[in-house]
Amino acid sequence: MNTILQATDIHKSFGRGEARNHVLRGLNLQVRRGEFLAVMGPSGCGKSTLLHILGLMDQPDRGEVMLDGETFSRAAARPQRLRFLREKIGFVFQRFNLIGVLSGRDNVRMSLHVRGRRDDEHVEALLDQMGVSAVAHRKPGELSIGEQQRIAVARALAHRPGIVLADEPTGNLDTDNGLALLDLLRRINRRDAQTIVMITHSAEASDRADRVLRMRDGIIKAE
Amino acid sequence: MVYLPLANIWHHKLRSLLCALGVGISICMLVALTGLARGSLFENADRWESVGADLIVFPRGWADKIANRGVGLSEKYAKLLREKHGDLVERAAGVFCWPMKVAGQDHVVAGVAPEQWDMISGGKAIKEGRLFDPENRFAKWLDDRLLSPATDDRAVEITEADLRDPEHDGLELVIDTRLAAAAGLGVGDTLHAANHDWTIVGLAPTGVMTRIFMPLRTAQFLFGDGDVTKCTMILVKLRDGVDAGPAARTLRDALKLDVIPPKAYRVTLQEHFSIMLNYVDMVNIIALIIAFLFVMNTLYTMVLERKREIAILRSCGASGWFILRQVLGESMILAAAGVVIGVAMSFGASALIGRLKPLLTPELSFHWMLIAAGAAVLGAILSALYPAWRATRINMAEVLVYE
Repeated sequence: MNTILQATDIHKSFGRGEARNHVLRGLNLQVRRGEFLAVMGPSGCGKSTLLHILGLMDQPDRGEVMLDGETFSRAAARPQRLRFLREKIGFVFQRFNLIGVLSGRDNVRMSLHVRGRRDDEHVEALLDQMGVSAVAHRKPGELSIGEQQRIAVARALAHRPGIVLADEPTGNLDTDNGLALLDLLRRINRRDAQTIVMITHSAEASDRADRVLRMRDGIIKAE
Repeated sequence: MVYLPLANIWHHKLRSLLCALGVGISICMLVALTGLARGSLFENADRWESVGADLIVFPRGWADKIANRGVGLSEKYAKLLREKHGDLVERAAGVFCWPMKVAGQDHVVAGVAPEQWDMISGGKAIKEGRLFDPENRFAKWLDDRLLSPATDDRAVEITEADLRDPEHDGLELVIDTRLAAAAGLGVGDTLHAANHDWTIVGLAPTGVMTRIFMPLRTAQFLFGDGDVTKCTMILVKLRDGVDAGPAARTLRDALKLDVIPPKAYRVTLQEHFSIMLNYVDMVNIIALIIAFLFVMNTLYTMVLERKREIAILRSCGASGWFILRQVLGESMILAAAGVVIGVAMSFGASALIGRLKPLLTPELSFHWMLIAAGAAVLGAILSALYPAWRATRINMAEVLVYE
């Protein structure tokens, strides 16, 4: 298995002066292609910040991220980052982050539209696979939270990304919905060799992963 | 296809409607006000151009005035034109103009000789009733009293009863059908104006030179200080094939009077009312600016409200151009809806003005509608740029995770 994602000496801090909070302190990380990786750690240890940096949504103060053969440092140009966001990365958020004025189906289609693509057949297949095709005509506010998160997963997968980054995807779900979602992610990982990096608090979530990394004080402490 | 701007507009129906309405009101102001100012002005000019004369002769210095009325020059010039310049002039007729208030509005009354009606009206026949004093009996009666050698140096008393004498009734009017409709007057009705009771004897079609006509001698006698030999202007019909431009110069030089074609009246009107038209334009520009500040404020609020939505698009890799297109698209749709609402409202406003003030002529022009649409599109682009730029600066991680 080759490496799809590698983070080297990542530093990130927020605030200024005495209020400065050094969240990531020289973190190193490697993700193999097709791997299901879980990152665990206490609140405030920098898990989400790490995920945003890995997903090119945020920039490190120092260090670099190598994603699918391309290197991104602080100086990386915005168009280059956006191109990778468009082509290589799919996000699943804890709070789903669906667009409220669009139906579930249109949320998935919009994800392709942003990327200059259209593939209604693929969208329908994904919704079917997620078990939400019957309710996908509804707007997010009319869907259950489990259905919303499944739509969000379909959206993250719609453009066939190289890597899916999931930030506490079960954090807002009840136990049944959370477990169902984890099984779904695991199935996708197994069947399509989809690389998944998941931030989680949950032990059940980490049980589904190929590998679990534990973070503390801005660095990886244990594997 | 998923079209986010449309989905957003549809989702926020009331706000979108209010925004489009704000633009629409400005568009309506632009189209209706310019239509009203220019329409009423040019309807007047159109009527003067409908006269079947090629030239108008005014006293020197009067040609660039817009409200020429009263005693101006001797009617003898008409005779002089026919006799001395017969090679150029086919017909020449004096006209005496005076203001008269009818239906709450001042109108120019034209005193004309009945035998000149076909030239004055541009060949239009009386629509209902008859022309005043058709046999010129009043003129003959008055000329006998005032102009015969026997009356020289003697005071002549003419009473109201003399003027209204059925044998030679001088207090007859012809009004146009538009004024008749606005004032609720018809043939046979009596109209009290200028301290006299007039009988409406005929209705002229709308579009003739003025809205009210009376016998030339009556106008001269009542409004020309009793001097029935003077008129305000002379209308000149040139012979076939005579070029109006050189003829005007020839007559101007010969008579030492102002000689202009009726079309020049339009230019004079435009020049005189240019300040008013500029004022109307400025009001319109201010209205448009206010409308687009309103749109800008709405869009800016929208961007603030939809930071999450924009951040989601960004997390999917949406470029700044894509975000800009969404904001711009929404702005353009609102502007387009505003144009449609505004144009529809301007038709409504025009109909309302026509009903409330039937003598005003709001002339909605396609030209101004295009200008309004162009202004709306430009305003939509300009007012969307800053909110769109703000939208592209959103920190997606901050918005999606922490807000």
